[in-house]
Amino acid sequence: MSSESSTATADVTAKRRNLLFIVIGVLSLCGLADAIYLTIEHITGQSVRCTIVAGCSEVLSSSYAVVGGYPLASIGALAYFTVFSLAILAMFGYRIASQLLILLVLAMCLVSLWLIYLQAFVIHAFCQFCLLSAIITFTLTGLALFLWKTR
Amino acid sequence: MAAISSDRLRLLWLQPWFDEASKHMKKILPFIIILLVLGVALVSAWALKKHSLSAVTPVANNVTGARPADSNPPVVTGVPGSEPPHTLGPDAAPAKLEEFGDFECPPCGILHPILVEMHKEFGDRLQITFREFPLAPAHQHAIAAASAAEAAGLQGKFWEMHDLLYENQKTWHEAFDVRPIFEGYAKQIGLDMNRYQNDLNGDQVANRILQDGKRGHSMGVKGTPTVFLNGREVPFESLPADKLRVLINLELTNHR
Repeated sequence: MSSESSTATADVTAKRRNLLFIVIGVLSLCGLADAIYLTIEHITGQSVRCTIVAGCSEVLSSSYAVVGGYPLASIGALAYFTVFSLAILAMFGYRIASQLLILLVLAMCLVSLWLIYLQAFVIHAFCQFCLLSAIITFTLTGLALFLWKTR
Repeated sequence: MAAISSDRLRLLWLQPWFDEASKHMKKILPFIIILLVLGVALVSAWALKKHSLSAVTPVANNVTGARPADSNPPVVTGVPGSEPPHTLGPDAAPAKLEEFGDFECPPCGILHPILVEMHKEFGDRLQITFREFPLAPAHQHAIAAASAAEAAGLQGKFWEMHDLLYENQKTWHEAFDVRPIFEGYAKQIGLDMNRYQNDLNGDQVANRILQDGKRGHSMGVKGTPTVFLNGREVPFESLPADKLRVLINLELTNHR
């Protein structure tokens, strides 16, 4: 009887974790779409043109928007794609994937905090697409922490 | 009855194969999903890039990579802007470059030395026209800067103020009150300060900015810097000096 109840509890926990991985996967896809948009805008030069919407051109034409010759947004796209891949692998039972996912999301959270600091205190302008990415990363961080708690 | 038993037997015989296939499928399914998403992401990026490049109305004759190939956008005329326009170079110049700019826009500040270089290099073969396109309220000092340049223009010193505004963009962009800074520039270029103060908030300056804005809108300008070369919009990615030089040379060659 107790073995049946513990099996049922394990099933519920597994279902919850799978749901969590699905939410993480969907969120990372949103982040991936945002980062791809920013990367293409950067490559084609559109994001560095000033428009009636304030902020993006200042942020994306700053020296912080490029790392080692690559647009920062492309590194973001790679990070979101990795989060998505890890979430899918974790959902299919690859245990190491969920641990890597937590570590990666925490690193992304730290980078997002640094980028918000740069926008607020160094560049003095905010880009709405960068803020959207930060919101997605912070939400992912919350979910990753929850995942870590339910290990 | 016998037929049902035979079907069951057949299913039982196939069961291990189904189990094995299911196990394999479970192993490769995550990788299929990941590859599928990667494919969709790459195709979306390619489509977005294509769309972005077509949105900037590419120019024809791709010889050196400065111009995207296979299209020749129509010459855009638009409604007239402020008269007389601020120009560098003769009206008879075979290559006419018209910039819609905002003094507070960082990319316009980056384009400024490139256009100075083009002016020096091409001399009388190139005419450069500057049109006001202040992006208010995105840039809080853009109208004040445009007004200062136009007020200087009324005393024949538009380009002197234009250069000072771009060269010191980073200094005044951060300032809370730009009026004393612009007054300093006006004194530096030797303007009659009483007239400058009167013109700054006068109808003539406001009208010039408005007329340039109307011309920009009629030509489809949505951001700055937007540059037209002999009436054709120059793709934003073709504004670096080496690419712009190629485009101007092409216009000069076509004119011969």
